Amino acid sequence: MQVIENLKVKEKVYIEKLKNGLTVMIIPKTGVQKKFVIWGTNYGSNDNKFIAPGEDKETKVPNGVAHFLEHKLFEQENGTNSLDTLTALGVNANAYTTNDHTAYLFECTDNFYEALDELMDYVQHPYFTDENVEKEKGIIGQEIMMYDDYPEWQVYLNAMKAMYHENPIKIDITGTIETISHIDKDILYKCYNTFYNPSNMALVVSGDFSPEQILEDIKKRLVENENQGEIKRIYSNEEDSIAQEKIEKKFEVSQPLYTIGIKDQVKDQKEIVKKHLAIEIILNIIAGRSSKLYKKMYNDGIISGQPSLDYEFGKTYAHILITGQCTDPETLYKEFKNEVRKNKEQGINEQDFERIKKMVYGGYVKEYNDVQDIARIFLSDYFKGINPFEYLEEIEGINLKYLNQILTDVFKEEKMILSVVKN
Amino acid sequence: MEYNEFELKEGIKVHTIKTNKFKTNLVAVFLTTELNRETVTKNALISMMLRRGSKNMNTQEEISKKMEEMYGATFDCGLDKTGDNQVLKFYIESINDNFLPNQEEDNLKKSIQRILEIVLNPYTENDSFKKEYIEQEKNNIKQRIEGKIDNKARYAMDRCIEEMYKNKPFGLFKFGYIEDLDDIDEKNLYEYYKKLINTCKIDIFISGNVDDRTVNILKENENLSKLQERKPNYIVPQIQNKEVTEEKVVVDSMDVTQGKLLLGLDVNIDKEELKYDTLIYNSILGGSANSKMFQNVREKAHLAYVASSSYLRHKNNIFINCGIEIGNYEKALELIKKQIDDMKKGEFTQKDIEDAKTGIIATVKTISDEQDTEVSYYFGQELAKNKITIEEYTSKIENVTKEDIVNIANKISINTIYFLRD
Repeated sequence: MQVIENLKVKEKVYIEKLKNGLTVMIIPKTGVQKKFVIWGTNYGSNDNKFIAPGEDKETKVPNGVAHFLEHKLFEQENGTNSLDTLTALGVNANAYTTNDHTAYLFECTDNFYEALDELMDYVQHPYFTDENVEKEKGIIGQEIMMYDDYPEWQVYLNAMKAMYHENPIKIDITGTIETISHIDKDILYKCYNTFYNPSNMALVVSGDFSPEQILEDIKKRLVENENQGEIKRIYSNEEDSIAQEKIEKKFEVSQPLYTIGIKDQVKDQKEIVKKHLAIEIILNIIAGRSSKLYKKMYNDGIISGQPSLDYEFGKTYAHILITGQCTDPETLYKEFKNEVRKNKEQGINEQDFERIKKMVYGGYVKEYNDVQDIARIFLSDYFKGINPFEYLEEIEGINLKYLNQILTDVFKEEKMILSVVKN
Repeated sequence: MEYNEFELKEGIKVHTIKTNKFKTNLVAVFLTTELNRETVTKNALISMMLRRGSKNMNTQEEISKKMEEMYGATFDCGLDKTGDNQVLKFYIESINDNFLPNQEEDNLKKSIQRILEIVLNPYTENDSFKKEYIEQEKNNIKQRIEGKIDNKARYAMDRCIEEMYKNKPFGLFKFGYIEDLDDIDEKNLYEYYKKLINTCKIDIFISGNVDDRTVNILKENENLSKLQERKPNYIVPQIQNKEVTEEKVVVDSMDVTQGKLLLGLDVNIDKEELKYDTLIYNSILGGSANSKMFQNVREKAHLAYVASSSYLRHKNNIFINCGIEIGNYEKALELIKKQIDDMKKGEFTQKDIEDAKTGIIATVKTISDEQDTEVSYYFGQELAKNKITIEEYTSKIENVTKEDIVNIANKISINTIYFLRD
């Protein structure tokens, strides 16, 4: 096993790539009660067009299949549901789907090995029938309608629609009631067999474990499976430009919700960790709690809380999101652009930089408090080709010059959009 | 882990949790005061005013800069309704010095001093709050109150409680009422603050790298030493007999895609000990993925994605919660009532009971792995004046029998059926 230690947070990760292609990562935490395991596949709502290994024809599936699969995997041939079995063991089990991965997880104190049996069994043994697929459409239909009532989700999805022309990130992870109506068991098996191969998956555990022992316990529970090689994913070409600058939706809310987005280029993601850190620092200098913009907007009664500041990226997309609730999104948008312009002209203030850099460092240290956070971060970063420890190391090397460079390269006015949900 | 508590002065208590599980130290100050219609808005507004500035950190900007300097300490406030009390909560979470490039930052000491300054020594001008700040915060709280419609599920829950507790403290909205704001100004709110700070119950929690020095920091703190002793003005949650009322049906209409159906249930018990039985009852009814609600309403009838119930210990209520298609109201209601009836008839298995126990015990065991959960756990016990260890808690859960659960089932009555629809 490969061992990587980080002296800043005093944690270690043990990494092993198995013969069948599965990557296992173990982050031991002595003295904690909780044990957490997460098993993910590099397959999400964006992967709708692909050529399966060994085939030469392209397969196109309806929107929402990855999420539908996530629901259906819990169902067992003997009529039981693995979620029930896991719950009965007193473990907290769940699953989720994002645009680039799907993951199955549980957290527990006792019955870890019984629960691991169940998790590894159900993820490796799909059981889809016409009947159980039809049944799920009703439940997922209610889930879709629930998201329809979340203004936060609507403002986010519209921001994606404003930034992207073709990229599937702009479609709902769940699909729509219409698209899921076309899903049948053959489609599910096809996607399962393509994307749930060990070579496309990673498993992460964190808790009070001996790394060698837990690795053996995982290997023991693996079904014989060949490393089937590369899946060709087909993504449409996405232009650099945004699709539309402004987008608005009506919704019964007390105060408008807004997302300011900045579309970023995907190419040249070699220095992605460093770039991510620089963007985080810039965002906090310009729009964070101690910023001039925040003070002005607060005193003018436009905002009453700090916006959330994020940089999201994957293989085919990258963008900045500034999200919150305010009385006047247009003014906030204008003032934000002004602040960006001023910082470009005058250069970023050095004191602000030093202070915010400390803050961002602390934020990354805090991620190592909880086994669940740790394992989730290692998994999602793995699918992005990143080891999370890099953030703690790279931050030291960021200087003012690099920051100003990123400010110029990424914070471009012609790449900005404003999504608003209001009455 | 080592938990200790001592009374600094009458009504002011310090709780320390020595632990090395975390990268962070957590310092929390809780102000607890009786919830009532006259002061609810003022208390909410005070919680917002205190974060605007203190004697030595005059502005939000200065507070934020100080936090950022401490390697991103987070200063946070919250407002809770716990039983018939309103609780103003203030936290600073900061990185433990062991994980900083410079290990002599003394982040814990700074955290304690700063949180106490923010809560106990607010920024004032001419013996009142700053006028500009109060105008802004009145506006913010107005938006907060109006914002209760934004989260439809939470709104439905708040409305259900409001209907169940009409004209009673617990029915109050924790952020207060817009009509109160006109009469509040920088002067009378500051007067009220001085009264509050010298009459409320004060609890200070410190979790993390605690040692003797930590206790001395508190003993020597000037902001603490100027406080008076007090017989704190708060309500110890007690079991009260519920008046049995007619089942009430309330329907609200709003622009929603999915209907939110809530049933507010009364648990008519008279002993604290019976709360453990009720916990198991709730778990079987709707507390987990194995529960009757999840299995029958979601998995078998496919009527909902969310189908659950939760137990509010301090008030002895259970809330059943479902997101359903609006046209399925009658069908869902009937099915939910059947679950309540089946519980009364004892139609659940020994395995259901064991599963519920395992689930609850597993949750209890993880308390010490989460810094804020551990603080909340001890604070809950402090308020209830009922100290019990995690081991005792576990054994009480283990001792619950089927008979006990059926007994609870027969003490349940539907108080209010609430439906939010289009």
